[in-house]
Amino acid sequence: MTALLELQGLHACYGQVEALHGVDLSVGAGEMVAVLGPNGAGKSTLLRAVMGQVATAGSIRFEGASVAYAPTHRRAALGMVMVPEGRGIFGPMTVDENLSLGGWTQRGCVAAQRGRVLDLFPRLRERLGQLAGSLSGGEQQMLAIGRAMMMQPRLLMLDEPSLGLAPRLAAAILEALGELNRNGLGILLVEQRAPLALRLARRAYVLRLGNVVAQTQPGETLTQDQLGRLYLA
Amino acid sequence: MPEATLLLQFLVTGAGTGCVYGLVAIGFCVIYNASGIVNFAQGSFVMLGGVVTYSLWHALHLPLAVAALGAIIVSVALGVLTDLLVVRPLWHRRATMFVMILATLAVQIVVERLTLIVVGDAPMSLPPILSRGPIHLGPIVLDTQVAFIFAVSLLLVAGLRLFFTRTATGRAMRACSIDRDAAALLGIPVSRLVAVGFALSAAIGAIAGILVTPTQYTAYNLGVPFAISGFIAAILGGFGNPFGAFLGGLMLGITQSLATVAFGAGTRNVFSLAVLLIFLLLRPQGLLGTAKT
Ligand SMILES: Nc1ncnc2c1ncn2[C@@H]1O[C@H](COP(=O)(O)OP(=O)(O)OP(=O)(O)O)[C@@H](O)[C@H]1O
Ligand SMILES: [Mg+2]
Repeated sequence: MTALLELQGLHACYGQVEALHGVDLSVGAGEMVAVLGPNGAGKSTLLRAVMGQVATAGSIRFEGASVAYAPTHRRAALGMVMVPEGRGIFGPMTVDENLSLGGWTQRGCVAAQRGRVLDLFPRLRERLGQLAGSLSGGEQQMLAIGRAMMMQPRLLMLDEPSLGLAPRLAAAILEALGELNRNGLGILLVEQRAPLALRLARRAYVLRLGNVVAQTQPGETLTQDQLGRLYLA
Repeated sequence: MPEATLLLQFLVTGAGTGCVYGLVAIGFCVIYNASGIVNFAQGSFVMLGGVVTYSLWHALHLPLAVAALGAIIVSVALGVLTDLLVVRPLWHRRATMFVMILATLAVQIVVERLTLIVVGDAPMSLPPILSRGPIHLGPIVLDTQVAFIFAVSLLLVAGLRLFFTRTATGRAMRACSIDRDAAALLGIPVSRLVAVGFALSAAIGAIAGILVTPTQYTAYNLGVPFAISGFIAAILGGFGNPFGAFLGGLMLGITQSLATVAFGAGTRNVFSLAVLLIFLLLRPQGLLGTAKT
């Protein structure tokens, strides 16, 4: 069976500076995979590279087909959906407008999906007319994920969805992701809070200085000790 | 009180010119919002609006409305070509904003010179689009062309508001103006929307040029003065907010008109720039803008 996402020898550069030095990574259908690593490891760069937002070299395959030369919006239309670091919410627009922009690639048939999203995050239903920028951090994250779900993703990629959230809220957000994954959605989750991510993900990659320095097999877990060493070594 | 009536009269006339500045300013904002570029070729759309309408009407004897439509189409074509041939290649090469702005200025100069070669340097004017006598509102006399400018401008502004709030494309353009990367992640084809932005602001610029020509005259070199006024109006309105820009235009038109009554026509630019400086110092975010840091 072909993997949902398959990266081979992926390099990414900002101008002259190379930030990823040949990363191999895959996400199987319906699998939840975590990417861990310290600040500056290249986690966000990895997701940007997958979406074509930085210059890359190497192979990026989605459902078996190369997307390495497709522009960002075309990758998104294929069902590769990324919630960026900082959430990418349109603050001066309403919650409702943000959600309908998520339906851009769907053209037309968005009502049913909108209902499902609002069922997943009932909090958003009460705030449809509110400006997105005035939502709390947790609500903004719900909106970001909800908006991503409006696109009916085949692969959902999230960059530190728990960033800046109180521990309970972070756990609730990750729980919602677990729920989506149990319903068959493939997820690539970038997280700094390793314990939270490892509880949900089937496999994990550890990134450091632009290289994969460790990866776990299904069922295998990293001990606190191993993690500490990977982060600090 | 003839004094007060005269003042009101100048206010109305100033507001008419102000609408035109406002439309030019909206043109700046639409492109700036979609692409982050200040398009200094905006004035050439305004100039072509008047000059092409005149040429089609005068040389080819087309009805005025048809000539105007032709001028809008020519401007839109120029806008889209500017995007495709100048802006987009630079964009793909990750040129700095400074380079992009210079490139649009080059487009302005090229269009201006080509127009000079094709139609010459004679000033041209158009008959009023509605040919009937002036409207009397109590003691104030409203020129029909000025009334027409008010009506068309308000319709355009209302139409744009609907476009930006009610249509998927309009909303997507707003999204691009807020965060282009996030918009692309939603599958929104950002560069195609930049082209739509160029087309839209070329059309608005051309309409402004067509509207204003019967009240004065136009010539190959009239784009730049209008672009400068429109640019000032856009800053007054808080660059990037089309409705603020329109208000900024009204304010500028009225200021110039009052300066003309009070101190003579030679002072109008002094006052425009004074208003601009006051705004830059006291309210740099403009009338409706939010402060950017
Ligand atoms: N826009 C940029 N221009 C130049 N260098 C960049 C840019 N963004 C990131 N980098 C560099 O690339 C490397 C990886 O950064 P990246 O943001 O991917 O790390 P990260 O793992 O996401 O870190 P964090 O956990 O802090 O979000 C860093 O060395 C960073 O300085
Ligand atoms: Mg990051």
